[in-house]
Amino acid sequence: MKEEKLFAENSPISSNRRWGMVIDLDRCTGCQACVVACHAENNVPVVGEAEAAYGRWMHWIHIERYWEGEYPNIKARFMPVLCQQCDEAPCEPVCPVFATYHTDEGLNAQIYNRCIGTRYCGSACPYKVRTFNWFDPEFPEPLKEQLNPNVTVRTRGIMEKCTFCIQRIRQVEEGAKMADRVLEDGEIQPACAQSCPPGAIVFGNLEDEDSLASKLASSRRSFRLLDELGTGPAVIYLKGGETNV
Amino acid sequence: MGKTVMLMGLFHESTDTADAIDRLYEMKIPEEDILVMTGVPYPEQALGRHSEWQRMPVIVLVGALTGFLLGVFLAVGTPTLYPLTVGGRPIITGPPAAVIIFVFTMMATIVSTFLGVLWEMGFPSFENKYYHRLVTSGHLAVLVECLESQVDDIHTIMEAHNGHHIQSAERMAL
Amino acid sequence: MSEAIPLAGKGPAPEKSRTDSLPASLSNEYQDRLLLEAMKDWEINQAVLEPMSRTGPWFWVIVAVLAAIVAWGLYAWGYQIYWGFGVAGINRPVYWGFYIATFIFWVGISHAGTMISAVLRIFKVDWRRPITRGAEAMTAFALMMAGLFPLIHLGRVWKFYWMIPYPNNRFMWPNFQSPLMWDMIAIFTYLIGSSLYLYLAMIPDMAMARDNTVRWRYKLYRLMALGWRGTEAEWHKLHRALNIFSIIIIPVFLSVHSIVSWDFAVTLQPRWHSTIFAPYFVIGAIYSGLAALAAILVLVRWGMKLQNFLRMEHFNALGKVVMVAGLGWLYFWFAGLIVEWYGNEPVVMELLHEEFIGSLAPLFYLQMTCNVLPIFFLMFKKVRTTPVLLLTFAIMINIGMFIERVLIVIGDLQRNYLPFNWGTYRPTWVEISIVAMTFAGFSLLYILFSRIFPYVPVWEIKEGRLRYTLRRIGRLLIPTAAEIE
Repeated sequence: MKEEKLFAENSPISSNRRWGMVIDLDRCTGCQACVVACHAENNVPVVGEAEAAYGRWMHWIHIERYWEGEYPNIKARFMPVLCQQCDEAPCEPVCPVFATYHTDEGLNAQIYNRCIGTRYCGSACPYKVRTFNWFDPEFPEPLKEQLNPNVTVRTRGIMEKCTFCIQRIRQVEEGAKMADRVLEDGEIQPACAQSCPPGAIVFGNLEDEDSLASKLASSRRSFRLLDELGTGPAVIYLKGGETNV
Repeated sequence: MGKTVMLMGLFHESTDTADAIDRLYEMKIPEEDILVMTGVPYPEQALGRHSEWQRMPVIVLVGALTGFLLGVFLAVGTPTLYPLTVGGRPIITGPPAAVIIFVFTMMATIVSTFLGVLWEMGFPSFENKYYHRLVTSGHLAVLVECLESQVDDIHTIMEAHNGHHIQSAERMAL
Repeated sequence: MSEAIPLAGKGPAPEKSRTDSLPASLSNEYQDRLLLEAMKDWEINQAVLEPMSRTGPWFWVIVAVLAAIVAWGLYAWGYQIYWGFGVAGINRPVYWGFYIATFIFWVGISHAGTMISAVLRIFKVDWRRPITRGAEAMTAFALMMAGLFPLIHLGRVWKFYWMIPYPNNRFMWPNFQSPLMWDMIAIFTYLIGSSLYLYLAMIPDMAMARDNTVRWRYKLYRLMALGWRGTEAEWHKLHRALNIFSIIIIPVFLSVHSIVSWDFAVTLQPRWHSTIFAPYFVIGAIYSGLAALAAILVLVRWGMKLQNFLRMEHFNALGKVVMVAGLGWLYFWFAGLIVEWYGNEPVVMELLHEEFIGSLAPLFYLQMTCNVLPIFFLMFKKVRTTPVLLLTFAIMINIGMFIERVLIVIGDLQRNYLPFNWGTYRPTWVEISIVAMTFAGFSLLYILFSRIFPYVPVWEIKEGRLRYTLRRIGRLLIPTAAEIE
């Protein structure tokens, strides 16, 4: 039985993986498709207009929009920001109950049922990409019908954040293991990458030099957000010449 | 040895008390048979008495060592029992361990000091004991365990040094 | 109610006072310095015990009002637990708000007790004697209030015990790298330490109260006196233990507020990430704590008519220490500011801009006024020894220090590296109710304490009297202290 073997070995994780994401800002149109896809995939609640205006939206990925220049030569800049899955994540050591820790695959894991809601990680995160469940989640009809059964619905009082769609990663990894084959580059698609119309988001293994993500990451256009803080993000942005959006 | 009795006298003043105690020593009444109770802490040996060696420092040191070891176990031991990487750091980290070890050492020292002093004093002890309620109102009480034959002499000594309320002591509820 | 008066009446014959031989004018002048020379021991006992049973209608009105505020705050807490943390005003990025600011405030208040009773005990400063118990009680109750906030601010408070260091059912332990763990353990240590210290120093006074009271008070004091008789060995051991306590508790008291400051300083948040935070928090804590103690002493002295014990010389000395702490606070504040300003980092400059001329400016200038103005006024002896003025400035200092904590926690969290994530914060009725609950709860505990336990440490005062005598130097008679203890 293959499943038995899977459980006996307990973990399909091998440390030659470092999941990363490349986001090409030159391609991003700020359409927010990734935001919607993420909400749908990860059962992220919608908080409503008033709460969102008070800074309580719960998007795991959000589009930061900055205006550049003076009118009339004004430009909008879009930047999708999600959990940067830092190598040296400031949010991890501060949690008193190990609700967030670093996995072998370089992911910054968030364990919902360990979290007691100190919100320390949220204060420590310089990107402010962690969100808190202010109330019990409400999914107005008919959103209830589309809740993803592979992802838990979080209770009130705990932190959550982008997981790089860990449920999809595990599904593909375990499928490959059961089929006894090597994981192919591009096989794993987080919801945001899958739904991006211009294909600005590329997900892949940064340890694998031949993966598309690795190749893009070594582009001269690449940079990392707040790199100077030394957090070692796994999200790599590409930004080149002038784009008029 | 004949039957012993407990005799208690009250004094107003510390010099009188010290003198009276000296007279009692001259009567060959051993030091451990004399007990002085005061409402104010007089400096050690002010009443002509020796102080005894205490186990307190040892208790405190043992407590501190226990706390230190507990701190080491929690800060260094538990991460190795269930290793989880956080923030790209090693499993055992120095500065946080220093904080934890320090605080646990201090906590154990404080608790052991408290328990140690209670143990040294034999507290709590609510059984009836020889006492006089005027002690906390500023009198010095001298309690002497002596032979019946000595009672009169001691009575005289105490009276000579302005002692009052001299009578055989009663055990009272404390 | 008390049975000591008839006993004492026939008891001690008048002892010859050491001031009898003085001319009348000198005798008055030195009586203050000789710490109640004229009073007999049993008179001191009565003077301390008698106000404890003096509870007029106003006392019960105050107790009822405070209890009502506490009850309302408990309702607000229940409301928050039931509906979720969203009923509080925090948001993203201001994940920590009023609760944490008040938490720092209470931990700060708790620092005065140790400062007074441990540091001054080690240095054998005599004016500490009548105020030590009031200061220690303040420490213990302020810490109890502070200790509530780590619970109140948990998203899932019903899981608080997951932070207690024992392994869970999968043998996983808490994370000792987290400053919150240090924080919890340090505050717990300090609470244990200060409560035991308070209690240990109270045992002889419990015996004194036991000997002078009847009915429920007698039963309570008897239980708490543990069978104290005042034998030489008991005194000797008590002294030994108190000395050890004083020495141990000083590093604990320094570490507690340092650890609280590290909760903030270890993050990358601009303006929090600073090495000066630990000493800055400690000196701020001493400043606000001592000021709070001065305010409380003025109120208790007035409410319990303890003018005999809490004298102008105590307020004078306390006022001086408050002033010195204030100068220290100002120094550390400026030492932090100049480096931040000179560094000229964009985010830090934005935060400074917010404070100096931005939306936080009104709070900032109110804070600076409340914190700096009293320093100058406390330089005058007239101000230090006029209770109303001392009370006014002490309350001002605490308003200033409270705002300072609000600015540190909430003000700094509103801005961060990515301007898209900037935010604002408004406290809600839930937060205000809970914060008010801790203020009322502290006052309630303190008022009840002052009526149940001797507020003035009687044996320490009596011991202090032993130390003093008069010495003639030329034409003057000068009080001198003997080297005992």
